[in-house]
Amino acid sequence: MSRYAVNSLLYRLKKDAAFRARFVTDPAAAIADADLSDAERAAFVARDMRRINELGGYLHLVMSIPGLAGH
Amino acid sequence: MGTIVFAGAMSHVLDPEYYDRACGALGRRTVQACMAQIAAMGERFSATNADALVVVADDHLNAFSFNAVPAMCVRIGRDVQRMSQDHAEAFDKVLEHMPERYPLHEALAGAILEQGLEAGFDLAMSWEAPIDHAFLSPVNVMHGARAIRPLVPIWINCFVAPQPTARRCFAFGRHIARVVAASPWTVGMIATGGLSHFPELSLSRVGETDTVFDRKLIHWMETGDHEPLLALSADELHKSGEHEFLNWMVLLGAVTPARADVRYFGELPRINMAAVEWRLA
Repeated sequence: MSRYAVNSLLYRLKKDAAFRARFVTDPAAAIADADLSDAERAAFVARDMRRINELGGYLHLVMSIPGLAGH
Repeated sequence: MGTIVFAGAMSHVLDPEYYDRACGALGRRTVQACMAQIAAMGERFSATNADALVVVADDHLNAFSFNAVPAMCVRIGRDVQRMSQDHAEAFDKVLEHMPERYPLHEALAGAILEQGLEAGFDLAMSWEAPIDHAFLSPVNVMHGARAIRPLVPIWINCFVAPQPTARRCFAFGRHIARVVAASPWTVGMIATGGLSHFPELSLSRVGETDTVFDRKLIHWMETGDHEPLLALSADELHKSGEHEFLNWMVLLGAVTPARADVRYFGELPRINMAAVEWRLA
């Protein structure tokens, strides 16, 4: 598990609208190069913000990514 | 000789629409009542005609990302821009209708930074970092339609462990008070955030608060009994959802042993909202 990899990916999803659009279209392809564990990758592909938070994703990021935010 | 002429602390998502969505009509009423008190505090601050307003707040992974997370950072330069976010959601949305640029008090920010390094505070500095709702929501509610006083934004890392200790934040506040006292300026100071919300920064626990812990903090602030606050641990703050109280610790260090008056305290099933003002000599 990598707190850095999870959170840098969350940050990019929040701040990089073009990357976010690619992720929405095909999450698995968009994060193919990310250095994630299998559990982390599965959570991102499922867009499961609760699980991403459990895996170390910072709350304020998972709550504020446009169109993907968990509440 | 300079003086701190106003000191207050308050919650910092001041948006009736946000709380209406999160908590329904009670959320709207509660934040509106809190905002009314913060606006009144702003009128008292404006009446001092202070040269600057120091704002101690935290970043929500907007200004700083995982390339660097400063424990304490002073924003320097001549002005500061608000954080921009496309398709903003949740607490980011409160920024949308606010002015984009704000004046800074360059000389006071520089004095806090330079004298801080000399005094042993290894402060970070930024010329470029934008400020988010933690700064701008209270600043705008306080000023209303009046011109915003020159700001000195100071970030405390409240969320990304390991954070600075409560004791260190208090000591930094003492430093700010010394800088102001040695300066020619009159200064207002606010700390923002809280009170209890988002325990353990867990999405599954959003909606829980620790009102007992809040009451304890408030009691110590009202009585001016600051010694117990110095011993607050990172674990206590994390479990009770009091992460942002580190900002308040800086302000407490600056005004100690002044006593606080609670202008507003309201419980919501998401956050306990507060507005507090200190009696300054």
